[in-house]
Amino acid sequence: MKYIKILVVTICVLLSACKQAEPLVIEADELHHSIDHVIKVMIHDIFSPPVASRIFAYPNIAAYEIVALNNSKYTSLVGQLKGLTPIPASETPVNYQLAALISHIELSKQLVFSEEKIEIYRDSLYISWKKKNRNEFLNAETYGLQVADHISQWMDGDNYKQTRTMSKFHVISEDEGRWQPTPPSYMDGLEPHWNKIRPFVIDSAAQFKPTPPPAFSMEEGSDFYKELQEVYDISNRITAEGDASEEVQVAQFWDCNPYVSVTRGHLMFATKKITPGAHWIGITKIACKKSESNFDDSVFTYAKTSLAIADAFISCWDEKYRSNLVRPETLINTYFNDNWKPILQTPPFPEYSSGHSVVSGAASIALNSIFGNEFSFDDTSELAYGLPMRHFESFDAAADEAAISRMYGGIHYRSAVEIGIQQGRSLGDYVVANLNMKSK
Amino acid sequence: MKNQRFLKSMTKSLLIYICAILFIGCQQKEALLFKSVSPTQSNVHFQNDVTESEDLSILDYLYFYNGGGVSIGDINKDGLPDLFFSGNQVKNKLYLNKGNLAFEDISDKAGVAGGSSWNTGAIMGDINGDGLLDIYVCAVVGINGFKGYNELYINNGDETFTESASAYGLDFDSYSSTAALLDFDLDGDLDIYLLNHAVHTQESFGRMGLRYERDRQTGDKLLRNDNGKFTDVSALAGIYGGPNGYGLGVAVADFNQDGFPDIYVGNDFHEDDYYYLNNGDGTFSESLRDFFGHTSRFSMGNDSADINHDGYPDLISLDMLSENENVLKASDGDESFQIQKLRTEQFGYHYQYSRNMLYINQQQNNFMETALMSGVGASDWSWSALFADYNQDGEQDLFISNGIPKRPNNLDYIKFVSSDQIQNKISATKLVDQEALQLMPSGSVTNYIYKGGSDLIFENKSSTWIEQTPTTSTATAMGDLDNDGDLDLVINNINAAVSILENTTNEASSYLKLDFQLPIKNHFGIGTKVYAYSDGTLQYKELYTSRGFQASSQPILHFGFGNSKTVDSLKIVWPDRSIDMLYTIAVNQNLTLSPKNNQPASKKEQKGNPLFHRVKNSGIQFTHQEDNYLDFNRQKLIPYQISDRGPAVAIGDLNNDGEEDVFFGGSKFMPAAIFIQNDSMYNRIKYPVISNDSISEDVVAVISDFNNDSLNDILIGSGGGDFYNQMDPLKDRYLSQNDSAFSKEILPNYFGNTSVVRPFDFDKDGDLDVFIGSYASTNDFGGEETSFLLENNKGAFTAVETSVFDNIGMLSDAVWDDFDNDGITDLIVVGEWMSPKFFKNTNGNLEEVRPINGALNGLWQRIQPFDMDSDGDVDYLLGNWGTNSKFKASAKYPLKMYYHDFDENGSTETIVCVEKDKRYYPLLGLDNLAQQLVVLRKTFPKYEDFAGKTIEQLFDKKRLQNATVLEVHELRSGYLKNEEGVFRFVPFQNEMQVAPIRTFLEYDFDADGKSEVLAAGNYFGIAPIQGRLDSFSGALIKSDAETVLGPKLGIDLSNKAVKNLNIIQLKNKPYLLVTINNDAAEVYEIKIKP
Repeated sequence: MKYIKILVVTICVLLSACKQAEPLVIEADELHHSIDHVIKVMIHDIFSPPVASRIFAYPNIAAYEIVALNNSKYTSLVGQLKGLTPIPASETPVNYQLAALISHIELSKQLVFSEEKIEIYRDSLYISWKKKNRNEFLNAETYGLQVADHISQWMDGDNYKQTRTMSKFHVISEDEGRWQPTPPSYMDGLEPHWNKIRPFVIDSAAQFKPTPPPAFSMEEGSDFYKELQEVYDISNRITAEGDASEEVQVAQFWDCNPYVSVTRGHLMFATKKITPGAHWIGITKIACKKSESNFDDSVFTYAKTSLAIADAFISCWDEKYRSNLVRPETLINTYFNDNWKPILQTPPFPEYSSGHSVVSGAASIALNSIFGNEFSFDDTSELAYGLPMRHFESFDAAADEAAISRMYGGIHYRSAVEIGIQQGRSLGDYVVANLNMKSK
Repeated sequence: MKNQRFLKSMTKSLLIYICAILFIGCQQKEALLFKSVSPTQSNVHFQNDVTESEDLSILDYLYFYNGGGVSIGDINKDGLPDLFFSGNQVKNKLYLNKGNLAFEDISDKAGVAGGSSWNTGAIMGDINGDGLLDIYVCAVVGINGFKGYNELYINNGDETFTESASAYGLDFDSYSSTAALLDFDLDGDLDIYLLNHAVHTQESFGRMGLRYERDRQTGDKLLRNDNGKFTDVSALAGIYGGPNGYGLGVAVADFNQDGFPDIYVGNDFHEDDYYYLNNGDGTFSESLRDFFGHTSRFSMGNDSADINHDGYPDLISLDMLSENENVLKASDGDESFQIQKLRTEQFGYHYQYSRNMLYINQQQNNFMETALMSGVGASDWSWSALFADYNQDGEQDLFISNGIPKRPNNLDYIKFVSSDQIQNKISATKLVDQEALQLMPSGSVTNYIYKGGSDLIFENKSSTWIEQTPTTSTATAMGDLDNDGDLDLVINNINAAVSILENTTNEASSYLKLDFQLPIKNHFGIGTKVYAYSDGTLQYKELYTSRGFQASSQPILHFGFGNSKTVDSLKIVWPDRSIDMLYTIAVNQNLTLSPKNNQPASKKEQKGNPLFHRVKNSGIQFTHQEDNYLDFNRQKLIPYQISDRGPAVAIGDLNNDGEEDVFFGGSKFMPAAIFIQNDSMYNRIKYPVISNDSISEDVVAVISDFNNDSLNDILIGSGGGDFYNQMDPLKDRYLSQNDSAFSKEILPNYFGNTSVVRPFDFDKDGDLDVFIGSYASTNDFGGEETSFLLENNKGAFTAVETSVFDNIGMLSDAVWDDFDNDGITDLIVVGEWMSPKFFKNTNGNLEEVRPINGALNGLWQRIQPFDMDSDGDVDYLLGNWGTNSKFKASAKYPLKMYYHDFDENGSTETIVCVEKDKRYYPLLGLDNLAQQLVVLRKTFPKYEDFAGKTIEQLFDKKRLQNATVLEVHELRSGYLKNEEGVFRFVPFQNEMQVAPIRTFLEYDFDADGKSEVLAAGNYFGIAPIQGRLDSFSGALIKSDAETVLGPKLGIDLSNKAVKNLNIIQLKNKPYLLVTINNDAAEVYEIKIKP
């Protein structure tokens, strides 16, 4: 009897040892899933576009630094990103891809509001990994958390916390050219101090300061007036054409407004979508998948793109609260038609330059630098939000369309779009030129 | 034997025990005032079932949950009032009263079931003037496939009706809420005000001017009865009919008592309410802004009654604010201060706040709004308000029906639930899933009833007077259903049987029930006024039946008289303004009255000669313009602003001609202004040193000869809420006069938000020393500020080295006065979040003493020595915040403010907490708090997690322990009564507590040889969650026994943030100068009675 017991115990031990021996293989898809999940939580929590760009950047950098330390193909960003110091090396051999993914998840959890929603996702993954290979998982977890902590400390110095409590944007003014809150929610200007956030690659928020918009003037024939008139005319024309109009479809496809408020009497609700940054993160995923990028390459692609996007927001927001320009809706309601509503809901911040244009410009340059500028793809990022797939011949084409969509949507003038995409592309060029991520 | 004794003693104790229990039981349970009459007993089974369908829900029609109508009246003249109910989707029902609260459904026979798809309000009234009550049923027609029209059921006199709307011109197929009957042109027949509502909310504020347009379906209509045919005279009469009216409430009363009925219309959403004053010539003047400082925002039902016995109708307008923390903090709240400014200043709408408003009529002056003070500000999603004396004690009580099947303003629903569940449905199909709608939390709640008291206070009796059954109760009507003399209530509920509440007061308390029979088409005497005098008290009522919400009540007037057995007199003013008088009337009876025309129509009351008379030709043309700095943008959590406490004003001879001149300080970046008195008036004179120095915010100033050169100098205290630390503009300025110019002199180096400059020669060395008091610092509200004593040395000031003023708090005023009657002048200082502090002067040495027993922390604004009780010693009047805000304070449950660097960003924040049911909750909601304390978003991802949490549950113990807690025990203004050197606080009466009292002026205004004190105040620098503290008209305090409010003095300072009152001597005659923040200064002649 005693022997049987020993035998059973031995077999058990052996079995469990066998089980432990199964190595954990982390595929690119697991990274994609994880990022998709974070995007869902971000939509739920309603993060503004600039804040969302920051939530993408830091976890991607953490994952990338681990990959760069372990894959000789890639170079660390230390010395290239302001204030970033080398991550600690692992004391024991570690599944670095698993550690990278873990650090990504942990940092994302820190950055969102509804941590619980990440925890549920995380825990089910962790349990399955633990089951498969307890030791390998625990080692990776220890190290992943260590790196997450390291990046988190660096992140804490980016002035984000301080900007949370800075003053609200002052909107009471006699000056008609100044931005004022727009219907229907008349929300305060979002993130008026985003230019005080430490940029990643660019020197300063103002490095890619665009030329100013046409001077505000409601005199017929002035450049500004003409641009305003153009927004109104386009809107009227395509509204008359109806929802089938190509322009209306383009506008809606690139809406990317995280919080569109809908009011029906006392009933209010919000329709929430991904942000412009998240849309380009979605395109990044599509490109990774189409090119069959492996885990490490995907981490690199996300990191580079999200850095360009994050700096683009800092640059764009710097200009927005510098020029502080009034939205077309405010003026059209006052001067042309008080019943006019833009096809897209006007987002709550000043008009110039167009955020989507700047960000799309920057993101497309980053993606061009990896996949080339003739990379065609089917953009399915908006399927989940009830919008159809659109096909693009290149990232540039997608960026151009994203930019002009803001005019169709009735929320931007032509200058904001045309100069904005230029601002983004120049910034993107700079980021690409100044980032050395691949070993030569 | 022993056993028996034991048993005996046991029985005895048991008996005592049982008695005790019974006694306690009796004591605790106040009998219900209203008994529910079950449908089985009453046979009233009407139930307004509202059924959502694929294409009809609150998404398609915004007022899907507003409910049907109810009206009460005796349609068959059997002396028993009958009931009519209109249903939204279900058929209307008419019930005959068979006595003993039993009813018979005669709807089928009567032919009143109705043909419209969606019925709303229902009223009874004698539309055709044949002495029988007809029924008018409103409908919503033309949207969502709703068919039909407003139906008029003419009473055939045999318990049957004939629908005749088109014959009378009343068959409107528009979006009607309800209708009100009135004889606006006093021609003897009944006209109709038809209240309509828009059906699509505008997403933008839109032009205010939309109300001048006329929209057939949404615009209200005034319908004049022209011999039985109703003519739309809206345009002619000046009634707005725009596409943006959301009329939900209409009240008719002769608000200004000029004999012609006036109309108040409550509009939902951002459209202003309308206050139509009847011009008496067939037209109305909409005058909301001239009489109302602010209104409810989501105005719903309303009602009018004289609650303060002055013979003028007062008014309540309902909104949807809940007092339940779980609901309140999970519901969408008020807009931000900045957006409010945008909506009012840029779009031109009036001030509106999301809570009930109780307006006290001040007789042709501004209404005084007292809902928060009176205790009726929050009664949840409220529909109908009905004032009546339910317990017959002589005071008007208030019933409010409320509830909504689904709360559409639930923040979790708005932000999180809805998006996941319905957005795709909506965008894809424009339909909404029933399931998604079901996710909205229920708003089924218990109704409210308040007992009216004296001094403008209502007591919430909901848990003792009525049964606590959660319902969604909408239209409500009242009448004496069982003819026992008291008023019963009938409530139309959504998705539940109607409630019939039987009043059990009966003759336990005296009543008088009046109905009228007039020999005119207005047979029931709509518009008849009755003044009842009993025991020296006036009760005033006028007969209008369309009251509350979508309903009409029995056409009677009902009075309660408490224990009185007789009523001294009744003055009846008939609609044609003729008068009948009745004397010594026995109570507890029903009187049917008809005009005897004993007396001719009365003349308008002669107005007395008011004390104050505004003059506009004094030459003082000064308008203080506040700079547009908003404290709340930077210091998001402070309880009120600190940047708007100007302007400084000082009186004194500035050109050495013996005449008094005036100095006004400017706000930030605005120069000060000096007005010099010449032969006949004042002229503004520019002095370079003053007009070139505009940066500072001048809060306070004093004109006096500081350097003993026989020429007056100016000392200006500056501060504000923008400059901080050691910025130069925080420095006070001392300008000495020389050769008709001024030059800047040096002051000691101190920085602070100066709020007080009080000169006095405290060391008796022959020159004027100055006490400088500091108010709250920018970016550090709640900090302990240091004040200063400046010693004058031949015109040069040095700061006295003393620590008694270190960190004494946020000062607002000070006074040099001999409080201990030892012949030496002492110093008293007052401030916010602190107790008045007394400093005894001993040979120029100031030492704090404590002549007040206990802590008396207040938000003290001003102190004024005055012998209030005429006992020969000096008392101190204290201006405080008042009780008409969401702040609440008592010694037991002080208002609390946690002061700490909660977010560890290096600067402090404040969290103000208010007690509710013995627990403390932050005043602000999650969105507001998280603007500063972002961490709360992570701790409480959902609003329901945050709602209902006390401050202790919201923050960890350690953080709260590290915080300084500032307290306020007393919010009332009042006076410190001098009782042989010890001071006891005595509050003023409630009408003095409606807003902060911020200034006092002692002067013998009526030239009777004894001085009085004029008090004024109001303050607007508070977040919209609080509203505007605008209702104090000013008051003349004569003694502890007599205070007269402004309107009776010829001065109405309501809606003005009065900073200072001064006497100026112009041509050797005294005038009153009123200096107002962000407004023009006013000058009043003081008319002394010969």
